This record gives sequence, structure tokens and C-alpha cells, in this order.
Amino acid sequence: MDRLININLNINNEKYDLSVKPNTLLLDLLRDEIGLTGTKRGCDTGECGACTVLIDGVPVNSCIVLAVEVDGKNITTIEGLSHNGKLHPIQETFIEKGAVQCGFCTPGMILSAKALIDNNPDPTEQDIKVAIAGNLCRCTGYKKIIEAISAAAERMRRRE
Amino acid sequence: MKKYFAAGKSLPRPDAIEKVTGRAIYGDDIKFANLLYGKVLRSTHAHAKIINIDIEKAKKFPGVKAVVTGKDLSHVLGGEAIMDYPFLAVGKVRYVGEPVAAVAAISEEIAEEALDLIDISYEELPPVFDPLKSMEEKAPLIHDKISSYKHIPVIKPIDNSNICHHVQFVNGDIEKGFKKSDHIFEDTFTTQRVHHGAIETHVAIAQYDPTGKITVWVNNDGPHRLRKDLSKAMGLSLRQIRIINAPYIGGGFGGKGGLKEETICIALAQKTQCRPVKISFNREEEFTSTITRHSSVVKMKTGVSKDGKILAREVKVVYDTGAYAEKGPTVTNQASVAAAGPYKIPNVKVDGYCVYTNKVIAGAYRGYGIPQVAWAHESQMDIIAKKLGIDPIEIRLKNVLSEGDICPTGRQVMHSIGLKECIKKIKKDIKLIEYHDKNIGKGIACAFKNTKTPSGSSAIVKINSDGTAEILTSSIEEGQGPKIILAQILAEELHLSVDNITVSSPDTDLTPFDASSTSSRTTFHMGNAVKKAAEDAKQQLLKIASELFKVNNREVKMENGKFFVKQNPSKTMSIAEVVTSRYGAGMDIMGRGSYFPEVVGEKGGMWAAPSIFWMYAAHEAEVKVDKETGRVTVLKVRAAHDVGKAINPMTCEGQIDGGVVHGMGPALFEEVIFDKNGEVANPSFLDYKIPSALDMPEISSFMIEKHHKQGPYGAKGIGEMTLVPTAAAISNAIYDATGVRIKDLPITPEKILNAIKKKDI
Amino acid sequence: MLRKLKEFEYFAPKTIPEAISLLDQYQGKAKLFAGGTDVLIQMKQRKLIPEYLIDVKNIDGLNYLKYNTDEGLKIGAYVTHGILANSEIVQEKYTALAEGSLAVGSVQTRNRGTIVGNICTSSPSADTPPSLIAFDANIKLISIEGERVVKITDFFLNPFKNCMKENELITEIQLSDLPPNTGSAYLWLPKITALDETLVGVGLVLTLNNIEEKVCTNIRIGLGSVSPMPMRANNTEEFIKGKSIDDSVIKEAAEIASKETSPRSRAEYRKEMVSVYVKRALNKALERIK
Repeated sequence: MDRLININLNINNEKYDLSVKPNTLLLDLLRDEIGLTGTKRGCDTGECGACTVLIDGVPVNSCIVLAVEVDGKNITTIEGLSHNGKLHPIQETFIEKGAVQCGFCTPGMILSAKALIDNNPDPTEQDIKVAIAGNLCRCTGYKKIIEAISAAAERMRRRE
Repeated sequence: MKKYFAAGKSLPRPDAIEKVTGRAIYGDDIKFANLLYGKVLRSTHAHAKIINIDIEKAKKFPGVKAVVTGKDLSHVLGGEAIMDYPFLAVGKVRYVGEPVAAVAAISEEIAEEALDLIDISYEELPPVFDPLKSMEEKAPLIHDKISSYKHIPVIKPIDNSNICHHVQFVNGDIEKGFKKSDHIFEDTFTTQRVHHGAIETHVAIAQYDPTGKITVWVNNDGPHRLRKDLSKAMGLSLRQIRIINAPYIGGGFGGKGGLKEETICIALAQKTQCRPVKISFNREEEFTSTITRHSSVVKMKTGVSKDGKILAREVKVVYDTGAYAEKGPTVTNQASVAAAGPYKIPNVKVDGYCVYTNKVIAGAYRGYGIPQVAWAHESQMDIIAKKLGIDPIEIRLKNVLSEGDICPTGRQVMHSIGLKECIKKIKKDIKLIEYHDKNIGKGIACAFKNTKTPSGSSAIVKINSDGTAEILTSSIEEGQGPKIILAQILAEELHLSVDNITVSSPDTDLTPFDASSTSSRTTFHMGNAVKKAAEDAKQQLLKIASELFKVNNREVKMENGKFFVKQNPSKTMSIAEVVTSRYGAGMDIMGRGSYFPEVVGEKGGMWAAPSIFWMYAAHEAEVKVDKETGRVTVLKVRAAHDVGKAINPMTCEGQIDGGVVHGMGPALFEEVIFDKNGEVANPSFLDYKIPSALDMPEISSFMIEKHHKQGPYGAKGIGEMTLVPTAAAISNAIYDATGVRIKDLPITPEKILNAIKKKDI
Repeated sequence: MLRKLKEFEYFAPKTIPEAISLLDQYQGKAKLFAGGTDVLIQMKQRKLIPEYLIDVKNIDGLNYLKYNTDEGLKIGAYVTHGILANSEIVQEKYTALAEGSLAVGSVQTRNRGTIVGNICTSSPSADTPPSLIAFDANIKLISIEGERVVKITDFFLNPFKNCMKENELITEIQLSDLPPNTGSAYLWLPKITALDETLVGVGLVLTLNNIEEKVCTNIRIGLGSVSPMPMRANNTEEFIKGKSIDDSVIKEAAEIASKETSPRSRAEYRKEMVSVYVKRALNKALERIK
């Protein structure tokens, strides 16, 4: 039963050819095998959103995705958001607006925000709340997170 | 008003960049070569004798490197207040979820499979789940002989009972007070078990070295406290234990302070020939086998005059601490001091009881027992106001403490009280325009909270030859912001840029003592330590500068980060110039600072003395109630907090926002539910819901700065206080909207609907 | 119990014949999955321990959402809640279904979870079955023995049990086109927080003779989370049919609906909420008929 399966995928624009066990979760692949520990484990059952990554731009909980399922896909993790030391606008506004406290929900939160703004450049407060409802935060009360996402969307609109 | 260089500015926190890029390291991100993975087998009974544990099959399972049971550590008992806690159950189990055995293996999967091979036989004992029943004389004893346990002096266990602490505070003459009163109010309020819900779970790695020294990598909120507790439990010297905290903790709220995964990890590591063992709890273990907030029963009897002055208050509060004392006794102590509320009351009697039950342990939780009593006294305050026909805001203004008043439980003269200002700020902000919707209601509540006293903090400030600096501190970063606050304090003292300051992570071999990053004490205590360390460094620099200027020590001044001779301020030297002129790049300057509050009052160590500072706050909630479904929407919360001095207002606001939402959950829906066997029935975020972005209200936060004589720049604490008044404010608003008062938390739709129906009949 | 995933063998068939032959071969030991939002969690909880896991996502021709006036709406087996909730045609024509999919979990869950997976799990509190019942959906199944079509009302048998055979695969959900003067709604009451399991779900499709007289020519009501499995409110439908809809009819209908249900936990409250939500859903559907 312990058969390895070959998968080819892109993680943060880098190609990987890997052999994985069928029961390896995408979360474990990223954290334990690739060493991308920015994706966090919170609940293991797709409730908290700390393990959110983007598969072909779409946010999902990587704790309930098998590694074998992402063969041929493009995965974006939090480590893939800044380029050459230049932060993504969402990362900038999270810092400036005080949207980060313990930081454990932050990677997933930022990726959910990115998927939102990529599809909806001018989100309302309600749009933002819906988009991050699957990312639990116990520290911030969400207020500054929502402000940061809104500010990032505006900054991205201005830059375009 | 004093102009500050760095204090009072909303500077972004230095840890944020690591956190937004995914580079911040948390406990579970730490790995070692040769690492073993530990898994825990837990009790399936609430109360049972352990007849036999058969581990032979598990030991032989391929990949298993160690199996431990309580027998391996039968002499070890730990615990901060009462030493009643075995690392693994010995002789009997006292709650469903208690660790009974553990396995270390080369993978988590193998460790889990091996757990299934361990065979345990139990003989069931009668359990007791209700704390009031547990106090009865005929209740089954959960701990046979409490008097045999060591405990700290301030704690008073009652032998041959399940009461692990009884505390009483008396001030004035309660009976005379009631006699003088025009009205007497008696109500009982209850609260539920609540879970911290930090998004990161508990993680530890333990490793022995060949000399027997243990190193533990962990996400604990008090590394020096953990070292002390382990040393006492295991009979090792402090030097033989090294605690290295993960650089970042993914939320704590009090939940990451006890002996939990660390102890099991150590038990396993004793048997792995110096291989490191890691235990990372999953979400289910967080709910079933760490700690929760105490549930409580608060009986409150209050006598008032016709014009609404409180003349006497009697409080009896019972906290259910579960199977082991953990921090329950000190929670009970601290909360009992504050149980009468932030009011000037001449006659007060408070009895606090901390009681064992056969349930998962309750321990420290943001607010340390005070959210429970605050909910009670603030609910009753509205009952009194309604009966007397006084506005809820005015009745509070009439009774709240002022500078120089005696704490209602009689223990100290109060100083730095910004509560009136908090209430007035909210009063002013409430719009004059009334809602024209009968389903909307408003409610106010206020409260105060103490900090554990006396407790110490030390810091070292290293000034490098180029004028940059490091702070060596054992304060932990779990979101509350010490990395920016402590940097701002050093920056203020030496006029350095915070960008040139690094704040360390704790390592008990390297960073100086700190009691813990709890009790909202870091800004005040560690802040003072950093300030003193900066002053020490500054004095050393002044001495060198005077030698360089070839003048007397007293003639040199430091201002705005520059040294100069008083008579000739135009010729200056920077910190870097002073250090390098004297030493080249071959030396640094090291300042030491320790802060231990000088308090008058009774002896007896930590927790025994009156609080060095008190925090004050008022919250106002506006809710909309759907009277067909009973559902409550919290529309808005106004939160005013007396912080002494907001060293970083943005961080303070963040604490308030978070506290308000964290306070809302337990008010309306959060509850750890137990089934009839005492097992947690909702151990997941699917069944135990914490608020999401869709549940949050609009939040307006206000900071009042009532200078504290001993605080750094007048600062006090804030973190815990932010959720203390929230539940009562929401409850009072629900009453305003519906005319029904719910006295047991959480205030669920069913409770509201049933009460509305009863009222209508 | 929450554990790591046990080992299993993974298959990702590319065609339907390949998939059904695997299913046939490993009957009883294999589990189908698409989004994994139910299956993988149940496997971690050890409620499911399949030896073989068959991923349907790579099967050609299961990822479609088609609509025309002759055949109505056809939903392929790999259509996620996210796709359904955001589809303009579903939002416009089959509003109650779009709302049912929107009620499912968070964005992350809707991006992975499928409507077919939702009915396969057959949870009594699932959010799409009430609307599927209201739209009189048909479920198309296939096995090596051939194809069959089952009415949604015949699909559910017991809590978490349905009429699928161990070697069967759902390929499609079919909803017929709707007559004019029809409006639909799915309203749900979450257990407690905004994003929570559903305590009461009401899916309803209402057709009137015309907007002026408001005589009900057809109505179907699906109820979720108030009986051992998603149910149709037959008595309520009977009562409303042929009547001109006004407040008193709605009020009485709401009371009848409540009596039809048999919730287990929080029973009294749920029954009461059925009334409230049937009333609100009827009003919502009425509003939508233009």
C-alpha cells in the first residue's frame, strides 16, 4: 500500500518533481518536505484557515487537500508573495495598520485577501468579511485586518 | 505636557515583517535531526483507578523508541499553586483526557498506531462534575489527601474535601451595612467553561544531554516560571533545566502557561538516550486536555440606599477548577479581591472557593477569574438601577472609586483611577439620536483588574559600539507586542531609533529572570526593568563621556541621544562615538535593570500582596435582537480603557479590538460542553465556535491616560482588561432591547426566546 | 478522535468507465471523493477507513454547469459550491440553490466542496438538499450495471445514509426549467455564529398564477436539519396549493410546517424556528416573483 506517487507542481513559481505517499497532506508536504513553514497548522479539519494556500489562485485549506491532488497545479504560499524583498501591498498594509498580532493566522489571512482582491479590486467591507470568514483570528477582533485589506485594495488600484 | 521621543507613537511592530512573509518561527516550525515524535494516550474515564497498563506490545512495535506511564515518574508532582499534578496519571485518573501513557516513535503515524496497542484496565470510581455538589460533605474525594500536597503560602486548601482553596476578604461590617440599606438585591449568576481558542496549539521538544541537563523548546508564556515549576517538581536545580522559547507564540490568552505537553515530552525524553522528542497537540487535545476558563457560580447580595449608593455587598463565588488545581487557587484569590467591583463600598465580605471536579482542568484565562465576577456585579448594577429608576451610567458614576479610596475588599489605597473618565468618554460618544427600533438596546458595564504582585522582571540592555542595541529579556511575544513596546522604552531613554534595537526571545540560560508574560504585567514590570537597564547604560556612557571630555562626571549631560558638556552644548558626541572613542570596536556597554515592586502589605510571596497597579475600563454595547429567533447581533461596542500611558496607541487599540470580540464570544455562544460522562462533547472549531469576521461588531476604542506613579511614563497594563466588561455590557443591552435578563452565560437565542415568552405570559 | 491519515491507495481515473470499474473491483473498500471537505476529515476522525480512495476530479466531462430552457439545469459531479453560488444563471433562475451553496462553510470550503459530495455525505443538516428537493431534482447514477435516475426525495434513506450502491457514482444532478411567475429562496438559521452548521434550513420554490391574484399553482418545500434526513414538507405544500397567498395563509402554512418536522436535539426551538423560517422564505420567494 505504501506506494509513492510522482507529482509535478509549481510552488511559488518554482518547479518541483516529487514522490509522495498517498496519505501525505498538502500541508505536510509544504511544511515538512519543502520546508515552507509559513503555512500554519491550526485545526486539521478545515475550520480555522491557518493553512490556507492558493491552488491556481483559489484559496483552500491545505490540511484537507492530498498532495497527490495538486499534480500539475500552481501553489502559492505566503513565502511566494513578496518578490526580491519587495512586499506585496497586502503585506505592507498589514504591517502599517497593525493588523498583525500573534501572526499565526496572518499567512492564511493574507492569501484569502489576495484571492479576494485579485477577483474583486474594489471590495466592500462585507465582501472582505465574507472572504476572510474562514480565517479565524483570536487576537485582533478583525478590525485592523479589514482596514488593512481595504487599504491594500486601494493601493493596488492606484498602482495599476 | 511632556514631549516624548518614542513613547506614545503608533510605530509598526518589528515582528510584523517576519509574520507577513511567513518567516516567523513558531514552536511547530522547530525541527531537529534525529527527532522523535511523541503521542499521548488519554483517560477515557472521568474518575477511575488504574488497575493495569500493558505496554509490551507497543514497546515492540517497529519504530517505537520509548513508552512511558505514570509509574516511571511516580515521585513527581508539579503545579504552581498546589503541587498535585502528575506528569502522567499515577494510581488513578481524574478526568477524561488525562494523560495516562505516551509513546515516542520515528513518526507521528507510528506513535499513533502504537497507542492503540496499549491496554489499560480501569476500575471506575464515582465521578463528580458539579462544583456545588463537589463541595458537599458526602462528595467522592477527587484527591484523597490535599494536605499532603505542597502549596504556596497564600493558598488554603481544606483537607478531606474537594475545596483546594478558600479565601475570605472582609472590610467593614456587612450586617450593619445591610441594616442601613433601603433596598437589598440578591442574585445568582453563573458562567460556563470557555476555551482560549488560540489558533496555534501547544508544542514542546525535550532533550536530555549526557550530564542529565534537560533542554525544552516550547511555546510557554513564562519560561522562567516553567523552569522553576519543573525544577520543584523534579527535584533538579534550576541550572539543570533550560527553557528556550520559540521566537513567536501563536496566541496564548493564559492557555499556554501551565505544565501540559512539556511534562509528557520530558517523561519520554528520559528514555530516548538523548534523542529529542517533540509533542505537538492537535486541536482535539487542545479542547480535551489542556485548560479552559473556570466556570463559576457567583452569589451577590447588595444593599443600597434610596439614592443608589452601595452600602454593603456580600459575594460568594465558586470556581470549578476541574481535576487538578493548576492556577485555579490564584485565579480564585485574584478574582475574589475584585469581586465587589470597582466601587467605593464601606462594607464588603467576599468568600472565594476553588473546587475540584472530574473535568478537564481550568486555569489561567485572559482576565484571571474577573470576567466572571464582573459579569455578575455589572448585571446586578443594572438590576439595581432599573429598580431605583436611576440611569445606568449615573448610578455607576455615583459609586465608582476615586483616587485615594480604599479598595472595596479593604486591602489597599487605590491610585491612578481613570474609570470616571472612561464612563464619561463613552457617555459623550453615545449619540444623542436614539434608535427608532424597539429591537435595539444599549448597555454599559465597567470593571477593574489587578496584576499579580509582587513579581519581578529583569532586563539587560547591550549598547553596541556602533550605537545599535539589543534588549535581553524573557518576555514572550504572543501577539501582545513587547517587541515594539520594550524597544520604544529603550528608544525613549537613549533616543535611539527603534529600527536599531533588537528585542530577544527568551532562553533561560541567556536571558534574565521574568516572572511571566501574563497578568498584563509586561509593559509595567519589564518596561520598568528596561528603563532601569537603559539608565544604567546611560550612567556608564556618561562616565566615559566625562573622561573623554576631560571634565567632571556631573558636568556631562545626555540629551536627544547626544553627550555634551553643560557649558559647551555645541560640541557633542553620539553614543557610538563615546563607545568607540573609548574602546574602538572592541567592547560594548551593558546596562542591567531589575524591577521588583515595593509594596506594603501582608507577606507571603507572589499573589499575597496588594496589586501594584489596577486597570480600569468601561464598555458600552448596542445590540439588535431578533425577537422571533432570539438571535442577537452586536452592532457596536464602545470600549474605554485607562491604560496609564499608551506607549504604542496602535498596539493598545489592537488589544482592545481583540478583547471586545474575544469577550463577545463567551457572552453569546462559546461554551465547552460536557457529556454525561464528563467528556468534552465539542472538541473542534466546528462545534466550538469562536467569532469570525462575520460576527464582529463595529468597535470604537478610547484610551484614557491616568498617570501611574510607578509605571514607565505612567503606563499600566491593558491586555486582559479588554474583555472583562464586555459580557455584562452585552447582557445589559439585551435587557434594554427585550426586557429580559439572563443570568447564566452564554446568552443563547433559546434562553432569550424562552424568557421573552415567560415575560409575555 | 483526531488522528493522522491512515495509509490508502489512491486512484485518479480519467474516464467514467475506468472509475466505475475501479468501484466495482474494490466494492466496500473504496471511497469516492472530490473536494475532500467531508471525506478527508472523516478519515482523520477515523469515522471512515477506506483502503482505496478514488478521486473523481480528473474524470473527463464531469465538470460542467449547463442550462437551456428545454432541459433545465445540469450540474456535473465536480461542480463546487463556489461555482454554483457565483453562477449568474443559477443566481437568477435557481436562486434557492445558489443560496444553499452559499450557506456551505467558508470560501475555502466552497472552493473545494461539491454539491454532489454534499448529497453523498447525506448529513441531515446539509444546505443544498432542501433546495434540491424544492426544485424536484433528479440524481443520475452510473455503475457497471448501467445508468439510473433517482428522484432527490428517494435518494436519502437515513442520517448519513442514501440509496447509492457501493459500486455507483453520481454523474449529474438535473433540475428542470421553471414556469413563469416562479420564485425561490433558501433561508437558513445557523446553529449560533454566522458561519456555523445549519440548525434549520428552508428551501422553497413557489409558482403563482399571476402576480395580481397570487394564487399558488405549485409549491415545493424542502426542509433541512429538522428530521433524520432532508425532508419535503408535503402537508404544508398541500395546504398552500390553490390558495391566494396572503399573510394569514403564510402564518398557517408556517405552523403546519413546524408540525411536520421531527428534530432531535434542541427540538422545541428548532420546530419553532421552522415556522419562522418557512414564513420568511415564503415572503422572500413572493418578493422575487416579478
